[in-house]
Amino acid sequence: MAPLGGYQGKILRVDLSSGKITTEDTAKYKDYLGGTGLGYKILWDEVKPGTKAWDPENRIIFGVGPLTGSGSPLSGRTSITSLFPVNIQELPGTGHMGGQWGAELKFAGWDSLIIQGKADKPVWLYINDDKVEIRDAKHLWGNGVFRATAEISAEVGPEVQVAAIGQAGENLVRVSCVMCNRSHSAGGMGSVMGSKNLKAIAIKGTGAVQIAADKKAWKDFVYEYLSLIGANNQGVVPTTPQPWAEYYGATRWNAQKGQFWGAANPPVETGVCSADDLNKMGFRTHKGVLDHGDGPGQRHTVRGGGCHACPIRCHVYTDVPALETKYGVSRYNANTCIGNSFGKSFFDNLASGSEIAIEASQLGCALADDYGLWSDYGQFPRDILYAYRKGIIKAKLDPKEYDSIPWKLLDAGDPAWLLDIMKRITYKQGELGKLFADGPAFLEKKWPEIAQFHQTYESSCWKDAHAKHHSNENGGQVGTLINMMYNRDSQCHTHSNYLASGLPLAVQKEIGAELFGTPDAVDANNNYTKMNKGKAVFAKLSLVYLELHNSLTACNWTLPVWVSPRKDRKYRGDIAMESKALAMVTGETVSRADLEMTGMRILHLFRALTARYMNEKDMRKNHDKANEWVFEYPADKPALSAGVSRMDRADIELAKDLFYEEMGWDKATGMPTRATLEKAGLKYVADELAKQGLIA
Amino acid sequence: MSERNSDDAGKTLEVDLPVSSPAGEWHILSRRDFLKIVGVGASALALPQIVAVGVADAAPQAQTYGPNAKGMIIGDPTRCTGCRRCEIACTSFNDGKSQPALSRVKIVRNMNFGVRGEQGGAARGEGNYGNFLIVQETCRQCAHPVPCQLACPNGAIEIAGPVNARIINVDKCTGCQMCQAACPWAMTVFDAAKKKSSKCHLCNGDPECVKACPNSALRYVPWQDRSRDVAQRWSVPAYLSTPANVASTCVQCHK
Repeated sequence: MAPLGGYQGKILRVDLSSGKITTEDTAKYKDYLGGTGLGYKILWDEVKPGTKAWDPENRIIFGVGPLTGSGSPLSGRTSITSLFPVNIQELPGTGHMGGQWGAELKFAGWDSLIIQGKADKPVWLYINDDKVEIRDAKHLWGNGVFRATAEISAEVGPEVQVAAIGQAGENLVRVSCVMCNRSHSAGGMGSVMGSKNLKAIAIKGTGAVQIAADKKAWKDFVYEYLSLIGANNQGVVPTTPQPWAEYYGATRWNAQKGQFWGAANPPVETGVCSADDLNKMGFRTHKGVLDHGDGPGQRHTVRGGGCHACPIRCHVYTDVPALETKYGVSRYNANTCIGNSFGKSFFDNLASGSEIAIEASQLGCALADDYGLWSDYGQFPRDILYAYRKGIIKAKLDPKEYDSIPWKLLDAGDPAWLLDIMKRITYKQGELGKLFADGPAFLEKKWPEIAQFHQTYESSCWKDAHAKHHSNENGGQVGTLINMMYNRDSQCHTHSNYLASGLPLAVQKEIGAELFGTPDAVDANNNYTKMNKGKAVFAKLSLVYLELHNSLTACNWTLPVWVSPRKDRKYRGDIAMESKALAMVTGETVSRADLEMTGMRILHLFRALTARYMNEKDMRKNHDKANEWVFEYPADKPALSAGVSRMDRADIELAKDLFYEEMGWDKATGMPTRATLEKAGLKYVADELAKQGLIA
Repeated sequence: MSERNSDDAGKTLEVDLPVSSPAGEWHILSRRDFLKIVGVGASALALPQIVAVGVADAAPQAQTYGPNAKGMIIGDPTRCTGCRRCEIACTSFNDGKSQPALSRVKIVRNMNFGVRGEQGGAARGEGNYGNFLIVQETCRQCAHPVPCQLACPNGAIEIAGPVNARIINVDKCTGCQMCQAACPWAMTVFDAAKKKSSKCHLCNGDPECVKACPNSALRYVPWQDRSRDVAQRWSVPAYLSTPANVASTCVQCHK
């Protein structure tokens, strides 16, 4: 394929078994955009049902898309798709990482990277524009992510972008990740690289991503797009009353006068960050304050950080000097959200917003980001704590092993506990290390007490031992449906971003009516009304744009801009911005409807792929599930009443009916129908599913 | 685009003309375009006095004195978060493509390990793998004698209005990359697709990188000589010395 705007025209394929390095024509895969869409397509075409995550025949697809590297706002993400080792059936899933790595892959001239096979000894992959080499990683194996990154950078130059696994991925710990650019991680994918003896992928790219549109038109578009973006999670009003703002609300737009990046030297004030000041967008979200509390958050924040091409800095970079003296790790650490709560979540006795809490948090980062250990959205630390407090671990473990574990550090709320427990899991030390390294789904098969725990609200566990992630507390049935769809914790933020805008409910409903057909698609938080068609449309569009974001690529942690901070637009955003961006970058005609059809195609393919690996006809019953608590918590208040997120079983059955209807999926089974698949250009998928007896 | 085409600029007018558009933005127009807009012939036109003092083509005596720039871009490393929207703006809005290697504002090369590179050691140096400081690098718009200009064997680096940026005339540039070897701060770049060098031209005094920064970490300020107090990235090789035809003119002023 001749290079077009956005696309580079070729995809890199590396077979680690044979050492063969080949290219694919991107044109073959353009119906799936790139990113996770490409990943699903490669799995469908090349990885037979019955394949396991660590088999050499499994593929791991590092997917970027036409927008990655283009400079389109928030386009810095990479979707890593493979069979997902944390899932009990190792069904397909995607880990998503930001940073600079994905853009660099594009600058090196590649539209994505497919890895297959298994090297006979540890290797790393060096992509230097069109020169691609498999290099020996003997000296790197056994080392953490930071040393691997530093050594590769010393070997080929400091401007190289490195994605690497730590010891966790090498040791086939299922709860492991791929790390890049210090603080960015793709959850669950570390051990797939480890199983292939692939330590790292390092890229130097000097080329261009072409923009098809006229320079001036593109520039105007980019600034228009930026003007529609608020803060992290697309909060479009500030958290506190500000002179420039009509509204304020519970958002991540927390910048204000007198608030500082206190560990910058000298400190930098976030200050007044009005909606029209695009040169202060990067100060709008002070993630240090959000993740570590106001005192330690300001005191220890060096600056914000994040991905290529994104003005919203959702990572926080901290300096906690005590980490060096007390625990012997670097004082400098960075992460966001669960990355920052990972260390803290091994405790239940740390005062929130305290110095000791930030020490636990950042010691957790220092260890986990170097080991390449994955938080699993907090699920496995919750399981460890529960099992300890309930005496399950004591009852199950050999007393000698139990006594060798420094539980007194956990009881004392001493962050040094992490030095033991994280290492134990990373190196699969003892029975405990092995069990928890396999993750919650495998654990609950061995320890039925944990399976029972997962059915309770306190576990925060949604289904199949995966954590809930913006579920029924975010839009009631909308979040519920979305959390039923994936083979890991759901990674959808489309709906939660819409609901976290901070705009008054009346405005949310008004805009919701324009987007979803009825104001009733949007409820007040924790005051959910019965299921209706609008909510099905809301859920469908949320998933369509999630898959589009992960394929284009664009950031689903802040996009889409369905609302905006602009009072002059009555807080309307523009649902067509993704299609407009794609049209301008590629020079192709792409309408909103065209792009949404592509999103649907990707969703159908993912659905079919999951059903095929499950060999499952009844996705409705056996895949789209929720744990007991969703319908039973809290016990003292009825479902769909004020103040609760409790769902009603019959109402959720109706929700499935309406949602499947929107998707064009069979109501009885939740499978995409032949007509739906054919309409989406997936006849070959329908044929294959029929052959396997999964659809008519 | 601020890079010049000789066939657009006539012999008597060596530089592009900056004109103010209705939106108040500055654009460089070719002389031909300018004449189209004002609707008069060249002979009738009194042109604004914008002086280009360049190295004349193969002149036996090449005068190298040039006026100082009027502005320059400076960075505040404590505010930079490494989003690279400045690099993107530089090449997207000037060149129609996103290409950090071509960017005339430099972020990524110091982003991971700082100015000293990996040799500073992880967690001991600067950058994302160190103390998080990202030092932006921008063109100093050097005072006369301008190192990149002196090194150019083709006289392609010229000083032109409206802000006297040191810019590359793409028609004279042969892509030899001597200017890259001559800049102690490694600020000139090479566009491999066009086989031409490029450097910061200050976007006619309204730099795209400055406008693009979401952390107000870049500023466009009145020019001052920052060639002596900002650490150099490397030493200019000894083989790059002032050409004889230039050196012979230095004594005219430096007596």
